[in-house]
Amino acid sequence: MLNLDGSMGEGGGQILRSALSLSLAKGIPFTVKNIRAGRRKPGLLRQHLTAVNAAVAIGMAEVEGAELGSETLTFCPTTVQGGDYSFAVGTAGSATLVLQTVLPALMTADVPSRLELSGGTHNPFAPPFDFLERAFLPLMTRLGATVTAHLERPGFYPAGGGMFRVEVNPVATLSPIELGERGEVIGKRVFAYVSNLSRQIGKREIKRVKRRLSEENTEYCVVETSGSMGPGNLVAIDVESECLTEVFIGFGVRGVSSESVADQAIDATRRYLASGAPVGEYLADQLLVPFALAGGGMFLTSKPSRHTLTNLEVVNLFTEVKARMKDRGKHVEISLG
Amino acid sequence: MKSVVMGIVGPVLDRGAGPSRWEHWRPSVSVCQQEDLLVSRFELLYQESFAKTAKQVRQDIQSVSPETEVRITPISFKDPWDFQDVYASLHDFCKSYPFNEEEEEYLVHITTGTHVAQICLFLLAETRHLPAKLLQTSPPRRKHTANVIGNYQIIDLDLSRYDRIASRFQRELREDLSFLKSGIETKSPLFNAIIERIEKVAIHSDAPILLEGPTGAGKSHLARRIYELKSARREVEGPFVEVNCATLRGDAAMSTLFGHKKGAFTGAQRDRAGLLNSADKGILFLDEIGELGLDEQAMLLRAIEEKKFLPVGSDQEEESNFQLIAGTNRNLKSWVAKGEFRDDLLARINLWTFCLPGLKDRKEDIAPNLDYELDQFETTAGIHARFNKEARSLFLDFARSTDGLWKANFRDLNAAVTRMATLAPGARINVETVKEETDRLKESWQVEAAEEADSNLIRTLGRKRALTLDRFDQVQLEEVIRVCHESRSLSDAGRTLFSVSREKKKKSNDADRLRKYLAKFDLDWARITG
Repeated sequence: MLNLDGSMGEGGGQILRSALSLSLAKGIPFTVKNIRAGRRKPGLLRQHLTAVNAAVAIGMAEVEGAELGSETLTFCPTTVQGGDYSFAVGTAGSATLVLQTVLPALMTADVPSRLELSGGTHNPFAPPFDFLERAFLPLMTRLGATVTAHLERPGFYPAGGGMFRVEVNPVATLSPIELGERGEVIGKRVFAYVSNLSRQIGKREIKRVKRRLSEENTEYCVVETSGSMGPGNLVAIDVESECLTEVFIGFGVRGVSSESVADQAIDATRRYLASGAPVGEYLADQLLVPFALAGGGMFLTSKPSRHTLTNLEVVNLFTEVKARMKDRGKHVEISLG
Repeated sequence: MKSVVMGIVGPVLDRGAGPSRWEHWRPSVSVCQQEDLLVSRFELLYQESFAKTAKQVRQDIQSVSPETEVRITPISFKDPWDFQDVYASLHDFCKSYPFNEEEEEYLVHITTGTHVAQICLFLLAETRHLPAKLLQTSPPRRKHTANVIGNYQIIDLDLSRYDRIASRFQRELREDLSFLKSGIETKSPLFNAIIERIEKVAIHSDAPILLEGPTGAGKSHLARRIYELKSARREVEGPFVEVNCATLRGDAAMSTLFGHKKGAFTGAQRDRAGLLNSADKGILFLDEIGELGLDEQAMLLRAIEEKKFLPVGSDQEEESNFQLIAGTNRNLKSWVAKGEFRDDLLARINLWTFCLPGLKDRKEDIAPNLDYELDQFETTAGIHARFNKEARSLFLDFARSTDGLWKANFRDLNAAVTRMATLAPGARINVETVKEETDRLKESWQVEAAEEADSNLIRTLGRKRALTLDRFDQVQLEEVIRVCHESRSLSDAGRTLFSVSREKKKKSNDADRLRKYLAKFDLDWARITG
């Protein structure tokens, strides 16, 4: 039984999700104390509880302390059960966070899995679907397990009501990969989603992107989605390079101009292009756990976030794979194994 | 424990049909968007005309909170601003709802609905018809942000659960108790327990209160303090009306209590309002209630039960709503047995009976009361009298000893302090003053003791002579005289009085023994039986 202190590092829900992922995949039970200690509302919130419940289902786990407000949780998985699952998640507990929690274990399960996840898909406090689909999941496929996702309908904050499906074809063992360089930028794709809002918003956002980013090899597209419940707007900029694709997001917020929304995505893209590192800040957070399960690998990123540092600590507690950070001048190299 | 929320659809706050409904705060939906509140069921009540809004809210809650089951129920009030209508409908709902408090915790959402509906929900929760805590939601602090969820607060009406409120109540309670005790730091556990109980009753009930206790135990004083406390708490609006029933005799009693009409009897030259009338909305203190005549008792009973009575000579009933505090220094039950007090009236007034102990049973309270009396004296006489140390302990020793009979209780103490403070040279009460006072007290109690001995002794010896005897002798002689009265001759009385010791003697001379004993008090057979 592994003992974790939930107040270490970033001290929020990330420790819990990473621990659940690693525990499921490695079959290591754990107890975490001081969950979200010191936060205004300490202990488990609904979004964490949904992640715990999903992990319990996938890992046929025994659990103690899975209650709202609980600051201690004990989680003992038995065997990971691939197959068909559907998880309905409330607004704030983005469905993508639930996927992030259970996916690593399903990538090495005995049988393929099909997941139906409903709830929020594009939520400012979680990796949005576009990022998962085009930046994160292709890298999982490169680790050996084929993972594809299909968005049925987006669910924007706060209305939610979105849905996406994920198919996982597992492998026995994941193979480590290295993301040491980005290579040439092949092209960019810019999507402006508008849902239950004027198309004009999307057009203004595209116009802004065109003004501030090189138009070379770039496709632009305003996507009007139907079927989602509430209004929503989002700018996604895919940067496709020789070695990987990164995705940067600007979220539409009521009362914020379309130009400012576009600027969020543009600024992130420009920082990424200027740094030359292949892996952006959010992707770095996401890669540590799957890399550790693959038993090695390395990637270069710019300055690591607190989430990344926290994940590094959790990974080192759960696996014999040693995760290290090296300063490479402009970049930081994170290597495992 | 599952959380179940109950609330009324807000026709204004919860409305919204198009996608833009997500851009403003909707209280009922926001309940299910809180990150730290998991609602497993939402009982959403709606007026028929707002069925569309109810369905929309249900759909939206299911989207933001798939964990929540939403049940919508039409509710039948016609006018949401009509208190009776709304209360009745909600009351019906509560009565028929299968509450399961073992497994479910209920929250009643009071942010939506009319103010009338909020008041009704509050009342139902407060009376536990709706066994729920209150749930209050509030909009986000700043407008035009992405956050349309806002905040919520759960309010438990069990106020004792809030530390700061509880300590406020504690402080208030201490103040009330101290008030009832006139600020005297009484130590007697018996007395303090009674005062605590009285505080509870006095504040929260307007049922009759019966104060039992010997003369001077402070019944009247306490009744007045109860009134003043209730008056400060705005529990009574009317006056404090006080009468000693022993002073009410004959026809005047009826008229004093219940009033009379002009011409009701000779001398009734104009209408007169009785005390019951004066005490309307206030407190009526009837001291020595056992002294009331049976007719007055019957009338009083009706006045307590129905708040109505008939003034003398009137054929029109009058109404008065007063709280009764009754005082008695006798055991009313024995009066009931003798047919002198109505048992139905006793049953009505002894719901809350408090027996105030006499001062001799509250020895630990004599010192604080002594200081109180000195302060009172200063207030009334303007003299700041104080004991010197020696004198104070001398007085307290006497007061707490078996000599301290305190037959008239606080009245005695008050009189003693008044005398000592007045006589004290230079307002310093010294040993001499105390000695003089304790002698005076002893003598007055002896007088009373002698009177109480009912008193063959006084009749035979005369009061003055009787009081010169020790109590030891008073008791003995009283019994001797009683036996003499019952006997045919001196010898007969002697045989009765010495019946035990004469068994052991060969030769007895009981008559002679008795004659000698009587002679000590200058008495003989003829004087006793004559």
